[in-house]
Amino acid sequence: MKNPQKPLRETNKKVRPAGWQIVAVALFLFYMLLPIVSTYIFSVATRWDRTILPEGYTLEFYIRAFQTSYFIITLRNSLILSAATILVSLIVIVPTVYWVHTRLTGFKPLLDVLMILPFGIPTVVLALALVQVYNVPPLARSPILLIGAVVVYSMPFMYRPVSNAMQAIDALTLTEAGQSLGANVFQVLSKIIIPNILPGILSGSLLVFSTVFAEYTLTSLIVGAKFKTFPLLLVEYTRINGNIAAAFSVVSFTIAWLVSILILWVGTKGQNGATETIQAR
Amino acid sequence: MAYLDLKNVTKSYSGVDVVHDFNLEIDKGSLVSFLGPSGCGKTTTLRMIAGFTKLDEGTILLDGEDITAVSPNCRDIGMVFQAYALFPNMTVRRNIAFGLLMKKMPKKESEKRVAHVLEMVRLQDAAERYPHQLSGGQQQRIALARALAVQPRVLLLDEPLSALDAEVRVVLRGEIRRIQSELAITTVYVTHDQEEALSISDKVVVMNRGVIEQIGTPEEIYRTPQTHFVATFIGTANQFFGKVSGGDAVICDHFTLLADDVKDFTDGQRVVVLVRPETIHVEPDQPKHDGWNIIPGEVETITFHGAVTRLGVNLHGQRVAADITVANTKPISLNQKIWLLFPPAACQVMAVDERS
Repeated sequence: MKNPQKPLRETNKKVRPAGWQIVAVALFLFYMLLPIVSTYIFSVATRWDRTILPEGYTLEFYIRAFQTSYFIITLRNSLILSAATILVSLIVIVPTVYWVHTRLTGFKPLLDVLMILPFGIPTVVLALALVQVYNVPPLARSPILLIGAVVVYSMPFMYRPVSNAMQAIDALTLTEAGQSLGANVFQVLSKIIIPNILPGILSGSLLVFSTVFAEYTLTSLIVGAKFKTFPLLLVEYTRINGNIAAAFSVVSFTIAWLVSILILWVGTKGQNGATETIQAR
Repeated sequence: MAYLDLKNVTKSYSGVDVVHDFNLEIDKGSLVSFLGPSGCGKTTTLRMIAGFTKLDEGTILLDGEDITAVSPNCRDIGMVFQAYALFPNMTVRRNIAFGLLMKKMPKKESEKRVAHVLEMVRLQDAAERYPHQLSGGQQQRIALARALAVQPRVLLLDEPLSALDAEVRVVLRGEIRRIQSELAITTVYVTHDQEEALSISDKVVVMNRGVIEQIGTPEEIYRTPQTHFVATFIGTANQFFGKVSGGDAVICDHFTLLADDVKDFTDGQRVVVLVRPETIHVEPDQPKHDGWNIIPGEVETITFHGAVTRLGVNLHGQRVAADITVANTKPISLNQKIWLLFPPAACQVMAVDERS
């Protein structure tokens, strides 16, 4: 071919930022980072109420935090809740988004509106309503009900990225191409559609993870002490010892980051083409 | 017996027939193209053959077997799409091997097959590349290779060249024809580009508003169009409306045309006379040629097309196109009074298609 259409990548022109731009960005970063940095410092401070910087530093609060009997249990519960939510969310959302983009295109506007609803309903109302409606064993106040509630609550975070990724590929034509080569619906989904929307699935999973891992209201109202999660423990300790609570927060941040990296790593490792696909966009 | 046989195929969307009572027999190993303006039902018909669109009525037989209700992935029919539809997450090699993987072909054999089709489309070096690293023309070659790798019973091409540059289009359509002939694979080719259809097909099916207007070889379609629509859709044709008079003439508003095939029409019937620009001779002085049509006019436009120059001639208010070649015509200038000259055999008389 004479004119290979090389993918063009925009090269940003280097322009020196103006003074006020630097100030604006610095103020923004300060605003965003101050609470986090303070939490980190507070978790290792001996006493920090009479001076600008702490009077001394210690790892004592971390040791006490790790020694807390509930530490491992709540951490495990939070991870179970997050993982289960991601799994259920994927199973519900991915096929739905696929059908809506290929066969039932008329339902897409409806789904788009439905996916804003969780933002509109206050969490407390959602939790209390669910507790009322599903007040039958074995669902009543069970972790299963909690997972169901959290899936609904976090659904927009999964739906948006997955839907956007599906929009970016021509799902119908790719499906038909797969079918004409002998693939059935499951093969089309697993070998063609899912690998191509993997970036969307990954970012959706990350958003859902970070939302659910830090979820407090639903957990406390639906299951309470029966299935204690990490945020519950954290809130409990803010009333007992602020420094230990800070140490818990740091642990929480760290886990969230580690899991994010893990999900990204697993995702790109599992699909060689995914990085290429991401780069191509 | 025909290899691919479409019988009374009908499809309608919200009460309107997109394809109406479509009957077509396609011989094994031939290349048939569906040609028509957008919305004529050609793509719908192709999608019904592929199984992506369900028929409302009719049957489709492939090699004697009724495939009307067979799902698309079990039809063993390959398809090439206008948008290439290569799988972005796979290399060229894996794209081509996909259909073989679905067939559970042993790896060794599959590798051989991939290498063979890559050679066929002359892209052996592209095996490890991703689709986005290839040009449009290269992507469509890979899509063709991918469809051919599984050795389907029928190959369908849905406007495969529409998204490509003019230059690439011409090269690639020649390649498609070459490969199709080599493999003798039964092929249906959908296009709205008449030049494409005429240049590569064994048979052309001209469609309009969901019905077949004419089926024939490219030459038949061009030289002996059977309907007003075909005559105007294929190539350029000057149209003169008039009424039949006697056995050999059509009376138009300002002149009378002599034509050969008027006998099928009744006296006074409203008809259209079609004359191709290349059959018209242009003379600067009044010629003498008994039994030919000789009409005076004035040159309004001159458009140079390379091999020929097209004149737009004003004939009593009607613009008529006439082609001249530099070799056999004296120089013509704008606003010059000239004479148009063409034999009765060049006049094709047809019933007026009010829809055209």
